[in-house]
Amino acid sequence: MTSVSMTRRGAVRSIALAATIPFACGRAIGATVAAVDRGAAATAALLRVAFPHGRLTPDFYRGVAETYLKEVAAKPAAIAEHDRGLALLDGSHIAPFADLPAVIQKGLVEKIDQEPFFKAILWRGAELIYRDRSVWKMVGYEGSSLEYGGYHDRGFDDIDWLPRAGARA
Amino acid sequence: MTARFNLNDSSVFVVIGSGAGGGTLSNELAQKGHKVVCLEAGPRLSLTDVVNDEAVMFEKLTWLDRRMATGKPDPNFPVWNCKTVGGTTMHWTGACPRIEPYEMRALSTYGPLPDTTLVDWPVTPEEIAPWYDKAEVRMGVTGKHGLPFLPAGNNTKVLEAGARMCGYTDIDTHNMAINSVPRDDRPPCQQLGFCTSGCAVGAKWSTLYTEIPKAEATGRFELRPESMVTGVNLGADGRVESVTYLSKGRSVTQKCRAVSVAGNVVETTRLLLNNRSERFPNGLANSSGLVGRNYMRHFTIQVMGVMPGKVNFHRQTHLAGVVRDERIHKPERGFVGGFLISTVPFTPEILAKNMMIGGWGEDLTSVLDKYDHLAGLLLTGEDPPQLSNGITLHPTERDGYGLPVPVVHYEDHPNTIAMKTYAWKVGRRIYEALGAEKIVEMGDFIPATHNMGTARMGTDAKASVCTPYGRTHDVANLFVSDGSLFPTAAGCNPTLTIVALALRQAEHIDGEIRAGRL
Repeated sequence: MTSVSMTRRGAVRSIALAATIPFACGRAIGATVAAVDRGAAATAALLRVAFPHGRLTPDFYRGVAETYLKEVAAKPAAIAEHDRGLALLDGSHIAPFADLPAVIQKGLVEKIDQEPFFKAILWRGAELIYRDRSVWKMVGYEGSSLEYGGYHDRGFDDIDWLPRAGARA
Repeated sequence: MTARFNLNDSSVFVVIGSGAGGGTLSNELAQKGHKVVCLEAGPRLSLTDVVNDEAVMFEKLTWLDRRMATGKPDPNFPVWNCKTVGGTTMHWTGACPRIEPYEMRALSTYGPLPDTTLVDWPVTPEEIAPWYDKAEVRMGVTGKHGLPFLPAGNNTKVLEAGARMCGYTDIDTHNMAINSVPRDDRPPCQQLGFCTSGCAVGAKWSTLYTEIPKAEATGRFELRPESMVTGVNLGADGRVESVTYLSKGRSVTQKCRAVSVAGNVVETTRLLLNNRSERFPNGLANSSGLVGRNYMRHFTIQVMGVMPGKVNFHRQTHLAGVVRDERIHKPERGFVGGFLISTVPFTPEILAKNMMIGGWGEDLTSVLDKYDHLAGLLLTGEDPPQLSNGITLHPTERDGYGLPVPVVHYEDHPNTIAMKTYAWKVGRRIYEALGAEKIVEMGDFIPATHNMGTARMGTDAKASVCTPYGRTHDVANLFVSDGSLFPTAAGCNPTLTIVALALRQAEHIDGEIRAGRL
């Protein structure tokens, strides 16, 4: 197991254990936190490369990454595959994936975008991002309408920019 | 009100499935005075279970038992149909075009097409016309029989404006089985924008809250939800004498007078193929070898346009906007048959998932960033029958019921590929005419919702599975009542035709029972 492949759940457990013997494990705690951080940072960076919205903050991607990592942590095969993928990205350049410029990140992801770990995060990432109410607000999707009586009286036919009838292309 | 029948009551007519075909046939037979037991694999929801959330409703409505595919479809989710009382009438959009006479005479109109099994329908357009009338009245189809059309929403107005600039003229808000006025104790459409997740106000026709309760009110109908049929059992005389199903882990057998299978194509096929006997070694009613063959689904491709102004396409009835001009037979276009152009919206999530098949990154997010400026259209076209497209049973894989997993095999015919290529260009032109900033063509990624052809009707028992009334050639009291019956697919949504055929079949069955033949 490389340091990158520490799961968040595993890391939290390690931290709790280590806290009882702080002197002996001081360095280990630091290393674990750093590994978790790197995994989350790389996952967040990967999500930003896959779904680059200028209006979404780094904190937003970080939050989605943490949710994703929490989900895959429950599935040993999935976390192994995800960690393998992050290792590929981290190991393919002079610096960790998360620290690279966006253009380099994109180039690296293009090389691995058929890998199962990327397809998995793309699919689940789309659900986590595009089911988020703040993203709906950002793109102008209004969600459930039943409680407001639908859109019948709320703009279902309010379009005002169309050319008049009779025009021809 | 609702009846309770004894398992040994051999006078009941058993209907398997409660959707467009099964729900309608059940009610019609009960109305005509016959005792009916309807076995539905899924649970019975009520309108209060329907919420405006696609992800939640997908889990509640969809048939999620394991299926496999080879060829073009998604290998794990080839078909999108429902497992719930009401069947796929919960998920459907409500679009009710009739099959055109030229399409019912497919072979005569198109001529022989290589590698297809094109035929003319054994039911003539003249014969089915009054049944279409009856089905439209029953379902409350807009723009027919005096019912007003639905109002045009933004996505429809964009489609209409662009289409008119391209010279198209046959345009309106479609013939929809969605109330445009209060009717049938159901309210009119409120433009919720969640048609395919179950209509939360019940404005859209679904057998769950139309045919099923009406059948129950006769006192001659019993719905048994969560009943997965595994066996259709023949007596020594070669007729069906009972049906066996799994209910809460228990195997139950109901005696019967006759049976109709309306499980939507995949389940209907699986049930027949999985019931092998000495008499039918290749599956029940399969002496022709055609059960599960000639599987058809329409292509459903999309074009999205980033328009110069806001559209908010999520705010309207999904498919209430149609251009019919390309649904003609005009071989100069390079293919036979035609297609419909309808409106379609997507939620951000589904749009992203469909687009992701083509890529990720800015190609994806630059479109999603303009979500409120998007207009969307759906292109749905005729799919010729091919013997090689079909549904088989996996030799070893089993689902949660212990039943063989169905394997769907499907490939596009060259005619379909030519029609799709043309249709994408048509869709693109419509939005270009209005100055779209960006246009996205999306492929055939939605799992098939229109399923047809695997127990085709015909007069020749060697070349078809069912008679023109949907009775199997091989078993005198076994019927099929879903899209499996379609000999060809036509270029339009199949539900209205399924309902019309079920009504016609009910009259036939009623006559047979009264004549002492069933």
